[in-house]
Amino acid sequence: MTNNKKKKGGKWTRRAFIATGGLAGVGLVVGVGGTLYLNKKIKEYSGSGFGEGSLLNAWINITPDNTIIMAVPRAEMGQGVYTSIPMLMAEELEVEMASIKIIQPQPEPAYANTTVLVNHPRDIFKGMSFMEKIAHFLPLVATGGSTTIRDGYDQMRAAGASAREMLIQAAAKQWKVDKSQCYAEKAYVINRATQEKLSYGSLAEAAAKIELPGIPELKPQKDFKLVGKPIQRLDIPEKVTGKAEFGLDVRLEDMCYGVIRHATYHGGQITKVANQEEIEKMRGVKKVVLLPKGIGAVVVADNTWRAKNAALALDLQEIGDNTLSSEKINQQAEEVIANKLIATPLNKGEASDVLDKAETVLEGKYDVPYLAHACMEPINFTVLVDGDKAEAWGGHQGSSIVLDGVNAATGIAKENITTHITYLGGGFGRRAEIDMVLNAAHVAKEMPGIPIQLVYTREEAMRHEMYRPLVKSHFRASLNEAGVIEAWENKIALQSVMNSSIMRIKPAFAEAPKKDPLSVEGAADLPYDMNHAKVAFGQLELPIQVGSWRSVGNSQNAFFTESFMDECAHAAGQDPYEFRKTKLNSHPRFLNVLNKVAEMSNWSTPLGEGRYRGIALHKSFGSIVGQVVEISKIDEKKFKIDKYYCAIDCGRTVNPDTIEAQMMSGIIFGLSAALYGEITFKDGEVEQYNFPQYEMVRMNVAPAIDVHIMEVDEYPGGVGEPGTPPAAPALTNAIFAATGERVRSLPLKKHGYTFV
Amino acid sequence: MELKINGKTHSVDVEESMPLLWVLRDELNLTGTKYGCGVSSCGACTVMLDGLAVRTCTLPASSAIGKEINTIEGIEVEGGLSAVQKAWIEHQVPQCGYCQSGMIVATEALLNENPNPTDEDIDQAINNICRCGTYPRIRAAIHTAAEWRAANKNLPG
Ligand code: FES
Ligand code: FES
Repeated sequence: MTNNKKKKGGKWTRRAFIATGGLAGVGLVVGVGGTLYLNKKIKEYSGSGFGEGSLLNAWINITPDNTIIMAVPRAEMGQGVYTSIPMLMAEELEVEMASIKIIQPQPEPAYANTTVLVNHPRDIFKGMSFMEKIAHFLPLVATGGSTTIRDGYDQMRAAGASAREMLIQAAAKQWKVDKSQCYAEKAYVINRATQEKLSYGSLAEAAAKIELPGIPELKPQKDFKLVGKPIQRLDIPEKVTGKAEFGLDVRLEDMCYGVIRHATYHGGQITKVANQEEIEKMRGVKKVVLLPKGIGAVVVADNTWRAKNAALALDLQEIGDNTLSSEKINQQAEEVIANKLIATPLNKGEASDVLDKAETVLEGKYDVPYLAHACMEPINFTVLVDGDKAEAWGGHQGSSIVLDGVNAATGIAKENITTHITYLGGGFGRRAEIDMVLNAAHVAKEMPGIPIQLVYTREEAMRHEMYRPLVKSHFRASLNEAGVIEAWENKIALQSVMNSSIMRIKPAFAEAPKKDPLSVEGAADLPYDMNHAKVAFGQLELPIQVGSWRSVGNSQNAFFTESFMDECAHAAGQDPYEFRKTKLNSHPRFLNVLNKVAEMSNWSTPLGEGRYRGIALHKSFGSIVGQVVEISKIDEKKFKIDKYYCAIDCGRTVNPDTIEAQMMSGIIFGLSAALYGEITFKDGEVEQYNFPQYEMVRMNVAPAIDVHIMEVDEYPGGVGEPGTPPAAPALTNAIFAATGERVRSLPLKKHGYTFV
Repeated sequence: MELKINGKTHSVDVEESMPLLWVLRDELNLTGTKYGCGVSSCGACTVMLDGLAVRTCTLPASSAIGKEINTIEGIEVEGGLSAVQKAWIEHQVPQCGYCQSGMIVATEALLNENPNPTDEDIDQAINNICRCGTYPRIRAAIHTAAEWRAANKNLPG
């Protein structure tokens, strides 16, 4: 174990806070306001995992041979953070990307992601808000909500700038000149007068002892050499040779493989394994472990396939509700909309009154089903329990959640647990969950000394997920003759993602169920001018676990609202682009994106015979995305999706090539859901269990995608999720243009649509 | 049983019916070949068997006896990465990367058969799943790799 922190828990962290505040007051801490935790003295980080070299702050370690080792406490799941975070530091540190090595640090307070909790970036030149302190206190070290760049844009540049300043001061001291006589370039400090050079590696030890009075001034954007320019990702070379290590690729001495069978019914329980002895005699099988509360049974064997076969052969006695069905859930959702709305996050004017009195009211009842994340790499985690210590390996969106999970399952003190975060074979919110860690740790505790790789087969992973909830959204609207939206009303019913997630990840915080703001993200914050507007929601209570699914509430709300906007445009007899355009008077950034995507797609020029288009615009995670899709009609309900045009305003960029890739990825993710995605329940069980029942867009269906990144000099927005929400409504709007059929319920396949 | 993998013979003691995937991954620690679905649907487990792309999650290892098995670990050519791998880097294809071993092996097999595939050929031959949606870049990379192989020119990097 390399984690050398002495003590943790309430006392330790509280002391850290007090120390931070106090030290900041007397200006001893690097980082104004003490919020940057750049100085190891404040014990916000242990420095473990960096290896040889001199540690300049929580993120940067330099070895004598001039290798720059950077901590990236975020999960690389394809969104390019192992490149973009180092880019931000390298920009200020004045080093080349080729000289950088990356480590995953332990989940310590210095690495907390405050943005994921409060949904806006922290001002590093000021103290922390109450919620930001909570993120540190936990600490919450996590990747999600498209926050990595939003959280790190200033912090990581400040980390680079501070380290550079320390190195310059160390050189100045050695040369006995004023620091203004020195500058940094390509990992050397250069003496302006003599052109002498000292490598960072030779200066690092002395530099590490220097204390700065505050964060040095950051470079203006016009001087950026790296940030904002497309570069090749650092993780890609090992992803073309098969060498990249994912959680399932972890191989340890004496390791065994466990395959899980969850309790069949959601919220149900396995009471007994009737044939345990028999199973334990099968070739390679070591043990059958029944998980706490009977949530599952795990067969441990010397090979995954043997464990899987044995798991399938388990004779389980179970209790649970075998009557749950999609039909019932739909009825419940209808009732919630009719009688059990609990909050009205948007209530401008008298929308309901106006609608009740209006002569013509437009109505639209929308719904979407449960969805599985279906990460390409099936869910897994590897844990070793050895005496009073434990180690855990795998791909996870929250290294602090891994620590929590191992601690909760084994009782081993957190300072005795080491995490090893690998690449993630997809995350999308699923890998922010704690279940795989808890389950693996529980089995590992039963088999001390043996590393256990717990594997969910595809079938188990798909049938026992934390799904995107089923959601209903009922609209009413009225327009005047000019097409102005007089009144807009939207009533939403769904299970609360937030309550369900907190229950799993931080049960201590989950007292009374809350009114979940995620329910209306992307529904109650629309940019369009409306005279009266009301958005209300109610929550379903069900034993089904729901969770964050790429873009969360936006994933459904963009489909609902952007479809209904199209209905309004049609009712007004206006072009869908022009209709939106006239309603963005107080939102110029939205208008610019809309205009750009219309221009890219030559919106005003008619497409040829048999070709149609649809448009959608949506803001999520600080970025605005506009999309136009072009489709070709092949048969009555058979289409080819030719092309998506996508314009994004995400403010300042870090690696534009990654932003383009994330837009493509987000669109195709949204398309898989729009075309095929549907998890349904029957007799208490999920009906889909593998890709043949839960189909994905493949090469033959994937459209061409043309991405434009707007040049906007504003603080960065996220890019991992915002590409997804507009993809579905753009398509269903195009289908309306082609067929006159308004698809108000996804997926398209259930209405007989096919795509080639 | 004896299996010839990437030019080397390996001896393993496993059930005849154990799928080749699990022999590679769990018995030989060749983890570049991935498990995605186990039902021949996603292609993450693709290897070349006598030059043809096959899905190993449902292929009994015993049926590969006496054949040349080539996995992602054996794709590199003398002097480094293959044209396909280099094209993958040129187009910055991988995102999470999990599906990419299968994609690259399937592409190598395709280009061996059909050195200059059209978009339709690619649609037909490459029907692996990429949950990250890297398809547009995969398509571009396949065309680039085909060009580079045809020109047999000095590859970048
Ligand atoms: S794992 Fe073999 S095809 Fe999916
Ligand atoms: S790159 Fe993630 S599944 Fe293809």
